[in-house]
Amino acid sequence: MAILTFAPLSWAQKLALLWLGLVVLAAGLAPVLPLPYRPGVPDLAHLAQAPFGPGRHWLGTDPQGRDVLSVLVFGARTAMLLTLPAAVMAGLLGAAAGGAAGYWGNTTRLAAPWWLLGVGSTWWALRLPVPLLGLVVAALGLGLTLATRLYRRPVPAWPVPINAVVMGAATTLDTIPRLVLVVALAASTAVSQPVLLALLTLTSWPYPARLVRAQMLRVRALPFIEAARAAGVPAGQIWLRHALPQALQPLRTTLPLSIAGLLALESTLSFLGIGLPPDVASWGRLLATAREEPTAWWIFLFPSILLIISMLSLNALGRQRRILG
Amino acid sequence: MLIFSCTSNPNKSDSIRIRWVHDPETLDPMLLPNQAAFDANNLLNISLLQADVLTKELAPALAEALPAIQLVGDSLMKLGYRIKPAAAWDTGRPVLASDVEFTLKLMFCPGLSNEVARNQYRFIRAVLADARDPRRFALVCQGQAIEYQKASGEFFVLSEAALDPRGQLRRFALADLQNRPAAAPPDSALQALARRYVAATTGHISSQLPGCGPYRLVAWEKDRYLTFQRKPHWWADQLRPVPFVLQARPRLLRYVIIPDAATATLALRRGDLDVYPQMPAHEFARLQASPAARASLSFYSTPSYDVVTAGFNTRHPALADAATRRALSRCFDAAGLLRATQLGAGQRSTGVISPADSLNYNDSLALLPFDPPGAAWLLRQAGWQRAGQADSGWFRSAGLHGGRQQLRLVLRYRADESLFATIALQFQATAAGIGIPVILQPTESGAFTMALRTGDFDMYVRVLKGNPFMFNFTPVLHSSSVGISNSTGFSTPASDRLIEAITTADTRVHRARLLRQFQALMQQEAPLVPLFFLPNRIAADRRLRGLHASSLKPGYSAATLERGPSSSPTP
Repeated sequence: MAILTFAPLSWAQKLALLWLGLVVLAAGLAPVLPLPYRPGVPDLAHLAQAPFGPGRHWLGTDPQGRDVLSVLVFGARTAMLLTLPAAVMAGLLGAAAGGAAGYWGNTTRLAAPWWLLGVGSTWWALRLPVPLLGLVVAALGLGLTLATRLYRRPVPAWPVPINAVVMGAATTLDTIPRLVLVVALAASTAVSQPVLLALLTLTSWPYPARLVRAQMLRVRALPFIEAARAAGVPAGQIWLRHALPQALQPLRTTLPLSIAGLLALESTLSFLGIGLPPDVASWGRLLATAREEPTAWWIFLFPSILLIISMLSLNALGRQRRILG
Repeated sequence: MLIFSCTSNPNKSDSIRIRWVHDPETLDPMLLPNQAAFDANNLLNISLLQADVLTKELAPALAEALPAIQLVGDSLMKLGYRIKPAAAWDTGRPVLASDVEFTLKLMFCPGLSNEVARNQYRFIRAVLADARDPRRFALVCQGQAIEYQKASGEFFVLSEAALDPRGQLRRFALADLQNRPAAAPPDSALQALARRYVAATTGHISSQLPGCGPYRLVAWEKDRYLTFQRKPHWWADQLRPVPFVLQARPRLLRYVIIPDAATATLALRRGDLDVYPQMPAHEFARLQASPAARASLSFYSTPSYDVVTAGFNTRHPALADAATRRALSRCFDAAGLLRATQLGAGQRSTGVISPADSLNYNDSLALLPFDPPGAAWLLRQAGWQRAGQADSGWFRSAGLHGGRQQLRLVLRYRADESLFATIALQFQATAAGIGIPVILQPTESGAFTMALRTGDFDMYVRVLKGNPFMFNFTPVLHSSSVGISNSTGFSTPASDRLIEAITTADTRVHRARLLRQFQALMQQEAPLVPLFFLPNRIAADRRLRGLHASSLKPGYSAATLERGPSSSPTP
């Protein structure tokens, strides 16, 4: 059995961990921190105010009079609440899809009633023409499934091309640059925080899926999997309990990198004005307001520093090596 | 910046380049959805009378003189016009009274988006052509309002020969079209005409309407630029002297669409732009303080008739009562916003009439206070109750049918304007302070226009553009314009009567009295919250001459611009 051990952290990685811990702490405590201003409240008496000027704006204000310090702190919260869940959800989705594709390939077979149930449900869920027809087909599938279990009659089974479907979808998503894809989707729908979270998740799962699939191809041939099969353990149980935990190892390394990528993407979207609503604090949006007041260096400098240090820290953690012994 | 770099004209001295914030969307002379569309049409077409920025009055353009007024009985007015003999279409065919009559009929032709023009020119009931002189005609107006003399000549005259070569519209009288019921059976000739008009006013520039204006549209890249080329032989060149409103000096006028203010400033400083109108206050102040900018640019500032307003969608049940609207009005810090965004320039107002218009402005009304506690008190008076938890919002019973209304607002504004964003954020923060959730929806310019038309908003922030000549509030606040240009959907029988009385008032004093009543009524009903009048700020290349900064929209004269070796700013 493989044992996971961590290599000792370098100084750079310790510093990275410390910085990210601070960001997470600030994000978590943002609502209770004694900040002089809330992030969405404009101070009309101090628009584009330089740091340490009048009005207790320690890091200045943006052209709308919002306190830069508050926006940075709450922007960290936005980043954490958006990019971390998106990275985890994209990882889980990718792991499930890639793991299934790698373990079963295109060879697994599914009984016809299950096919009917799946096709009918999908038909109905996607609201294809005559959605009721989808429900009828699904109901038929369910009925046949119950009937076959009851009477123990053999039913025809058809192959399910899981690998082809997963890799086809991943390749399709990979052919369009992620920024372009998210911009196009965000432009066609009203963007709120949950919608943006869903968009980031749905466009970020192919990379973890590929990694897990590749690992699963190796894991499924290992002796302990063969042993489990020989012992008569059901395939689903082998996949979930024995194969998948092993195939997930690469994700632990790539999670920080995935968060860094999503942080950059969210900031880019906010910078372009198509990400979060205008009243949600965001480092990218704060950077964008520098265009309105090009001489206000503080609007550009502080969020840039935070973004750069956070991205470098995440990259440093991502480089940490794991040793499989 | 990238967009501009791709579109800038290499031959800079040949053209005058002016910044527009957004695309005109359409050049349909009967629709004119925004100021850019109006400015473009001013170059392509001519109306009988046009605004003269020098005198700040309407001056004859196609018409030889201001119309001669003849009162008929106590309810009709005849306005006698004659078109300038030199006036001609591009084909050489003269502009005649029949073209004016055709244009007026087109405003009532079914199948066209002419509802705004319809409401504006309904008072013209007939066109009486002079049998001996095809250029002479009289407009018969319903009522004897003093505004009719000017309002009757403000529409762009279109060519009958180009749009209706077989004269099929001639068999309809103007009154027939005006009184035509909506359910009338379709007429094939009218349908064909509507199709021709739509084809000529939409799509590619090659299908544009032939105009009698001094310029031709030669390039239009949506959301990038429009280029207008002066006609080599324009009919007004024969006039001696050429009246100010008919002067057309630049050979090429290029309107460059740059939504971002900072990018436009960069373009101006790089010399890729010659005129930057409606410059934001902070940019303006920053450039004025820069010695390098002062050396290359001229700065102009005048008052304007543009008022920043917030509007309520009165069709929504929660905003249908005046008390709720009055309460919400108190959440706008107009004084603070004026100081912050206009650096103190501009002027607060009690209504949509400029305080500079001392005759008509109702100075007995108090300015709207910024008073969040007062807003909360007024909400309680309007039947709203704060929910148990502080951030749960306000609710009230929906009346006989039961259910509960929640005070929850969606505030739309044009995304390309940081002034609107500041106003929206201020309102949202204040409203949040008294427990009203407000969702901000910055919206692209075209989508914003559509949202206002379809009523897809609770509140909006925009600029209403006015002028000192006419006070026709029919398009903005009359019941006949609901669903067309009355975005708030507000109307009451009393306000309708007052609007109609204002447009038909027969003396200035009477009209002023009505206008004061109207302002008081609007403050009471509060469908709109006038925040402040904007100043008109323009920065332009120092070598430009003939800019003539003015309070009249668009704030300068594009057709009189000339590039000289050096110039001194015109105050």
